[in-house]
Amino acid sequence: MERIGFLKKEKIEEYLQSLSKKGELYVPVDVGRAVKFEKYLTGSSICLDRPPTLPPKSVIYPQSERLFKFKFKKDEGNVDLIEIEEVEDTKKRIIFGARPCDSAGFSVIDNVFIQTDTPDVYYERRRMNSFIAAKACDKPSAGCFCIAVGGGPFDDSGSDALITELEEGYLIEAKTEKGSLFLDWELIEPGDDHLEKKLKKKEESERLLSEYLGELKKIEPLDPKTESFNDENFWKRHLSKCISCGLCTYLCPTCYCFNITDEKKIFEGERIRSWDSCMFFHFTLEASGHNPRPDKFKRFRNRVGHKFMFYPEKYSQLIACCGCGRCIRFCPVSVDIREVVFELQKPRRV
Amino acid sequence: MVELKEKISEVFRDTNLVICWREGFDPIHATPHFVREESQIEDSIFNLFCVHNLCVYLPFLKEKAGILVKGCDSRTLIQFLQEGLIRREDVVIIGISCRGIIDVGKLMREVLYEAVTGVSIDGDSIKVKTVSREREFQLTSLLADKCKICRYPNPLIYDHLIGEPVESKVSWDMAYEDIREFEKKPLEDRLSFWTKEIGKCIRCYACRNACPLCICRDRCIAETRDPHFTSQSVELKEKFMFHFIHAVHLAGRCVECGECERACPVGIPVKMMKKKINLEMKELFDYETGINVDDKPPMYTFKAEEEKIKEHEL
Amino acid sequence: MPQESKKELRIIGFLCNWCSYGGADTAGVSRFKQPTDLRIVRVPCSGRVDPLFVVRAFLSGADGVLVSGCHPRDCHYSDGNYYARRRLEMLKRLLPFFGIDDRRFHYTWVSASEGERWQRVVTEFTKVIHGLGPLKIEEGEEIG
Repeated sequence: MERIGFLKKEKIEEYLQSLSKKGELYVPVDVGRAVKFEKYLTGSSICLDRPPTLPPKSVIYPQSERLFKFKFKKDEGNVDLIEIEEVEDTKKRIIFGARPCDSAGFSVIDNVFIQTDTPDVYYERRRMNSFIAAKACDKPSAGCFCIAVGGGPFDDSGSDALITELEEGYLIEAKTEKGSLFLDWELIEPGDDHLEKKLKKKEESERLLSEYLGELKKIEPLDPKTESFNDENFWKRHLSKCISCGLCTYLCPTCYCFNITDEKKIFEGERIRSWDSCMFFHFTLEASGHNPRPDKFKRFRNRVGHKFMFYPEKYSQLIACCGCGRCIRFCPVSVDIREVVFELQKPRRV
Repeated sequence: MVELKEKISEVFRDTNLVICWREGFDPIHATPHFVREESQIEDSIFNLFCVHNLCVYLPFLKEKAGILVKGCDSRTLIQFLQEGLIRREDVVIIGISCRGIIDVGKLMREVLYEAVTGVSIDGDSIKVKTVSREREFQLTSLLADKCKICRYPNPLIYDHLIGEPVESKVSWDMAYEDIREFEKKPLEDRLSFWTKEIGKCIRCYACRNACPLCICRDRCIAETRDPHFTSQSVELKEKFMFHFIHAVHLAGRCVECGECERACPVGIPVKMMKKKINLEMKELFDYETGINVDDKPPMYTFKAEEEKIKEHEL
Repeated sequence: MPQESKKELRIIGFLCNWCSYGGADTAGVSRFKQPTDLRIVRVPCSGRVDPLFVVRAFLSGADGVLVSGCHPRDCHYSDGNYYARRRLEMLKRLLPFFGIDDRRFHYTWVSASEGERWQRVVTEFTKVIHGLGPLKIEEGEEIG
């Protein structure tokens, strides 16, 4: 089911206002030296001209999420006397202005949290109640490589609607049933006449990206037998410069690793789930004090392995990377994960 | 550039490891380059995009190394030596007199993050070619903020020196004008400024890990569960706590290389907090970080009679 | 401890074991009247007080923080309070930069025999905090 509509540029403000009445609306906003998804308030100026610094991941999968509250009625530690207050979250959330790679990121997370025998209720509930409209990219940004990992600047996987910015307005295509939410408005005009322009834009955008990428045009999942993968010297050669911060994982639309902690104050507290990063020492630190991944080389190897080897192995060759390029664009020391994967796949140097 | 490579070769023969720069994934990004083989020397560069403070790796290296430092970076080495974090005989320093570097984040924002395919610098102007167009900027408009108020363009410690000495006309007062200006704001405005800025923090710890003087790294109290100094929650107060930890632990130690601010993906002016403390250190103890190897950081020592600290009356 | 009356504010005191804690005790034993807003944490020495303890207290809801140790030259461990003085002075000058009134944080020296001085310090500090009212660090709008 595909439906097409068109929104005039000057009507965008009015349109967003109507959308925000249907649920909690999140749009990319310039917060000063960064673009971030924030709740839409009347007068917020939406920023669509550059890729958001942070993906909208946190709207559906918050950086820290309360799972439940607890209270010890009498003495601390007596499990029989504990009161638990669950979190009920049925809010409708609408994301307008994600990028196709951001939506693709949700598809990667869905496999882990929803498409399994034991779905994660917290994520599933939020995901099912969310509506995502992605804005197609006209031009590649620094470090972009979505087409190399099976996506594309006009790809719609994970999105409910796809928006193309044309000169006079926005072409909005509903890609799922949920996507109708973005079209059921009086402001929306029929859009079929603009389809041709969109296809032209798409072609142009894909051409620009593949020219920009050059030899890095295609990245395949890593073969589990890749020899360099287990070679310590390989990682030393390429990752000595890594400073082991968590920027790459926290900015990644597909990274979903988390930690669960009880934050307690005397008699009451809450159990929260928060993002964790495989780039941190504490990620694998065991209670005994032993750490199987004590140095940055092993940690980075895990990150590459997870995205390009273990995940594809488990989920029918799907790479757990959407090619948004944020980890490259914003890395303080410009570590390029594409280069690392590319080097891994090269026949071994003698 | 020939001089640079010659110097690196010379040092490499002695150390078997030189930390320098090479071109990164695009023409406006340089990336740290660990030269461990003779053949890698060829890739080394020094240009306006060599923004990193390479000293960040030194305290954790278990081997002798050669290192390239700009004027500002060289202060880090002096601070390391003051605190006994490295041994002088373990480093061979190639100093570079520097006329300033480019704020790459700002440049990326100027071109709306469009992929850059080429750059050419001609005198005072810089032409940046992106996938869709070409733009020209004045170099001064893209200069990193720290370079505009740089008082140490020439390395303060080195074994080899590259480039002609550069003169700086910046005074102490000029360098800290921004802090004084900020302090003129009413208290509530300052709190709401930091609430907004620190509210953006995602606690990725890039500022901490990019900081050469944050040497706790894997043992940082912002992450340990015991003591439980910060919770995992993303509440504002936890973010504040982390930034206080970072600032307070750098009291009298921060050399203002600005790496924290540069590394921050969401653009929090992290360096301001440290500059404020440095300003106080100067006032209270007449101490400036990273200038003299024989100095002692003020928080590592005391005087029975403090000239500048008065008892506070209620 | 629950707040008994709404008028009470939360003030945290870090007192060194050897002098100020003794001083507070002296004040108590002598039945000097004191305001009840203060909650005392006993520490071995004012040198033990990490400036971050004070910050943590503020961020966890304290409206005022008081640190008190032995007088200079009187430290039980000979120089703990000298280090404390430098650190706490640094913090006192840093707090207003973040928009926290520096009057909310006070550090001073009270010896074990100075019960009266302790009474004065607590009374006056509490008065200052009441004058300033509760400290508000507002939560920004969170995503999610």
